[in-house]
Amino acid sequence: MSDPAGSETVHITSCPHDCGGRCVLKVHVRDGVVRRIETDDGEEPQLRACVRGRAYRQRLYAEDRIRTPLRRTGKRGQGAFEPVSWEAALDAVAERMLDIRQRCGNEAIMYIAYSGNTGTFLHSQLGVFRLLTLFGGFTPCWGSASFWGSLFSSEATYGTLAAGHTPDDILNAKLILMWGWNPAETVQKTNTAWYLARAREKGANIVAIDPRFTDSAAAFARDWIPIRPGTDTAMLIAMAHVMITENLYDRAFVETYTSGFEQFKDYVLGTSDGTSKTPAWAASITGVDEKRISALARLYAATKPAKLLTLGAPGRSAFGEQFHRAAATLAAMTGNIGIYGGEPAGFGLAPVGLKPEAGTGLIARRMPGNLPEGARQRKAIHITKLWDAILTGKGGGYGADYTMAYITNANPVNQFMNSNRAAEALSSLEFVVVHEQVLTATARYADIVLPVNTHLERNDIIRPWQGGHYCVYLKKVVESQHESKSDLDICRLLAPRLGIDAYGDMNDEDWLREFWQEARGMTHGEELPDYDAFKQMGLHRMPRQAPAIAFEHLAAEKPFNTPSGKIEIYSSTIAARNDAELPPIPTWIEPWEGPQAAGAGEYPLQLISTHSKRRIHSNMHTVGWLRDLEPHTVWINPLDAAARGIVNGARVRVFNDRGAVLIEARVTGRIMPGVVSMGQGAWYQPDENGVDRGGCVNVLLKDTHSPAGAFCSNTCLVEITKEP
Amino acid sequence: MQRGFYFDQSRCTGCYACEIACRDWHDIQDTSVRWRRVTATEQGSYPDVQLSYISLSCLHCAHPACRAACPADAIHKRESDGSMLVDADTCLGADACGACRAACPYNVPQFGPGPDAKMQMCTMCHDRLEEGKSPVCVAACPMRALDCGAMEELQKKYAECGAARGFSYSPQTCPSIIIKPRYE
Repeated sequence: MSDPAGSETVHITSCPHDCGGRCVLKVHVRDGVVRRIETDDGEEPQLRACVRGRAYRQRLYAEDRIRTPLRRTGKRGQGAFEPVSWEAALDAVAERMLDIRQRCGNEAIMYIAYSGNTGTFLHSQLGVFRLLTLFGGFTPCWGSASFWGSLFSSEATYGTLAAGHTPDDILNAKLILMWGWNPAETVQKTNTAWYLARAREKGANIVAIDPRFTDSAAAFARDWIPIRPGTDTAMLIAMAHVMITENLYDRAFVETYTSGFEQFKDYVLGTSDGTSKTPAWAASITGVDEKRISALARLYAATKPAKLLTLGAPGRSAFGEQFHRAAATLAAMTGNIGIYGGEPAGFGLAPVGLKPEAGTGLIARRMPGNLPEGARQRKAIHITKLWDAILTGKGGGYGADYTMAYITNANPVNQFMNSNRAAEALSSLEFVVVHEQVLTATARYADIVLPVNTHLERNDIIRPWQGGHYCVYLKKVVESQHESKSDLDICRLLAPRLGIDAYGDMNDEDWLREFWQEARGMTHGEELPDYDAFKQMGLHRMPRQAPAIAFEHLAAEKPFNTPSGKIEIYSSTIAARNDAELPPIPTWIEPWEGPQAAGAGEYPLQLISTHSKRRIHSNMHTVGWLRDLEPHTVWINPLDAAARGIVNGARVRVFNDRGAVLIEARVTGRIMPGVVSMGQGAWYQPDENGVDRGGCVNVLLKDTHSPAGAFCSNTCLVEITKEP
Repeated sequence: MQRGFYFDQSRCTGCYACEIACRDWHDIQDTSVRWRRVTATEQGSYPDVQLSYISLSCLHCAHPACRAACPADAIHKRESDGSMLVDADTCLGADACGACRAACPYNVPQFGPGPDAKMQMCTMCHDRLEEGKSPVCVAACPMRALDCGAMEELQKKYAECGAARGFSYSPQTCPSIIIKPRYE
C-alpha cells in the first residue's frame, strides 16, 4: 500500500476459514492490487495451500462482493435490496435494536454466529458478542455442526480436547484406519494427505471404512470397507467383542489406565442385556461381512502402533457421541494411547504451540456484564433448534419470543438443518441484520446487510486451531474493497448509537499487540518472538524435534483429567446426567432415519452430507475458477440409479417430507447401494414452488440433534426420482 | 537439453491445486482455457472400483506434432531447454486454422472464445525457471507429486513409466513426461 508505484511486494499470510488446515499464502501486491498468490516455498515441511487458497484472488475481487450497505426493498428471501449509506444503515439498525430492547427485552434478540473465521485472534464473532453483551445481553446459540460428538466424547472419556497428534506422526504408524475420514478433501491439518501418501509408500497398511470410496480411500487405502451410515458404533463394538473373546486386547493398559471396562465387557458379551455383540450381530446392522469385521479387529489388535483416525463424519449422526466413545475405547483396548504412531481417537487437538485459549479466548475474557456462565448455557439455543425457537418461542418451551436476529460469521439458512424452515423462521421476525461479504442465502433474509471485508483487508493473527508448530500473522495486504468494513469496525460505529461508551477504546493494532503479548505465555513451552518481529516475519515456525502426541506422560500421577484420573470407558460425568439416551458406556442405539427405517418406509435411501473440495462449507461456492472444476451432484450407486431409470448426468429430484432439491445425478460405484451423498455448502435457491434449485443438502435434513448435541447431518432418509 | 515433467499418479488426490495455481499465476480468467488440467478416471464396479487422477499440461514433446502442423511457423521449441513457445502474433487463430489442436495427441493447444482467439498453452513457467523457481504447478502440489527438470535427470531420479490411466505414450511425439502410475 505504501510501496512505490509499479513495484511488487510479497506478503505472507494464510486463510481464516473453517477448514481443517491452516496453510501459507504468499500474496503478490502491485499498485494496491493483488496480482498473484503463491504458497510456502521455504523449508520442508512446507505448509502448501489447497485449491481454495490458491483461488482467493477471485474471492477478493468477486463480482458478487457486497459493495455498500443494503436495505431490503422486496420480500424476505427475494434478494431485492437498495444501496444505502453507512450512516443510514447504522442508524436504522440502532433504532430498531433500541426499540426491540425496550418492547421485548434483550432476550428477544437472537445472535446467530458460527465459524466464518476460525482460530483468529481479533476478527471473529466475539467482537459482536461483546457489543451485544454491552448492550445488555441477547440469546446466543450453542453447538457445532462439525464435531460436537467428538468434543463431548473427548471431554467425557479423556477429560480434554487435546487428544490428538500432529500429522507428521502418521509416518510412525504401521496401521491406519481412516474411519469416515477423508483428509484429501477436508485438509484435516495441513500436510495430512502428504504424510498418508508417504506412510503408504513406507509400507503402512491403510484401511478406509466409509460409505464412499473417497479420494483418500483411492489414494491411500489398501482396503475399502463400505459401511451403512450411522452404524459405525455397532461395528466398533463387535470389534471389541472379537478382541475380548479372543483375548487380543492389551490387558495391562486397560487395567492400568482405564475405568469401567468391566461394565463395557458385560454389555459387549451380552451379560447385561442378553444380546452378544458378535460380528454376526453387527453384520446385519452395518452391511459389513462378519468375517471382515473379525479380520479388522484382529488386524487392529495385532498391529502396533496403529491409528484409528476420524474427525467428525460418523459422529454427525443420531447418536454420534457413541461412535466417538466406542472409538476411544478401542484405542485404549489396543494400547494405542500415549505412544508415537498411535492415536487416542479423541478430539484431534495436538498439544503443541499456541493453546486454544490464546486467540479468540482473549477477546472473550474482555466481555464485562455478560450473562453468568450457567445462565448463558440455560438460555442458549442449539444450532439445530434456532428455527423451532423462532417459530414457537415461549409456547414451544424456549426462553423468549424472539423478534430479532443478528447474524454474523455464519450462513445458517444454508448450513444449519432444514433450510425451508429457516426461511420461514427468518421471514417471521421483525428485524434481521446480517454482516456479510457476498449475498448468501441467509443475507437474502436480512432487512439490513452490512458489507464485511476479507482477511486480506485487515490485520489479524491466527493459529492452527487443531494445534501446530507454527502461527501466522494475517497481514492486511490491500485496502478494504468497495465500502466494506471489518465486523469490529462496524461494532465500533454501532456502539455509540446504542448508547455504549466503552466499546471503541482500542484500535486493531493495540488489541493485537496486547493479545500477542498475553498469548506468548499460552504455549506448550515454546518461545514466541515479540510482536513487531512476528509481524515482520509473517510465519513463525517453532523448533520441532518430534511429532507432538497426546498423553505422552502416562507415568504422571493423574495423566487423564477425568474424575477417576483414568480413561473413562464408563463415564461418571455422563452417568450423572441420568439420560436413558446417553448411556455411560459406549452403546449401540438404533438411529431414527437409519437403515432399518429405510427398509420400511417411503424414503428408502440414506443420505449423507460430505465436504466438497471446491468450497469451504458454503464459502467460495460462487468463485468461478472453483465452480467450474466439478459439477455439483448427488452420488448414487448404479443399482439404485437403474431401479429409478436414472442415468449419469440426469436431472433428478431428491426429496423427503422436509423439502425437495433438484440436482444432477452422478451414477458411480464409488458409493454403496442404498446410500446417496451430496456435498454440503451449495447455495439454497428455492423457486416459486419452494423447490431448491441450488442443491442445498440442508433442505432435506431434520432439524434436531443427538442426545449430547451432535449435528446429525448423516442421519437422513430420502427418495430420488428422475425429473422429466 | 530437454526439460520435462514428472507426475506421481499414485500420490495425486485430484485436489486441483496445480490447475488453479497455474490459472492464477498466468492470470487465465476464462475457465474454458486450461493450460493444466486434472481429470479423473473411474474403473470397475462396486465394490471393486478404482479411481485415478491425472494432471497434464503441454508435454513439451521432443518431436512436437503441433509445431509440424503449424502452417504459420508460430510454434517453437526453445533451444535452451526444449520447452514450447507460441508466437501469438503469428498464430492464425482458432477459426482460420486450428491445425495444432487437430495434430496434438494430448488435446493441449487451447483457444479462448472468439473467432480470432490465438493458441495458448503451458510455458513451463519460463519466467519462474529463469528466477531459479520451479513451475508454479510443481511448487503448488500439496502431495509433492509433480517435478520438473532435465529429462535425463528425471529419468535417473524416477523409474520411467510410459503409461498410466488417462494417458498413453506417443512414440511419434515423445512427450517429455515420466509418470508413476497408481495402478499396474
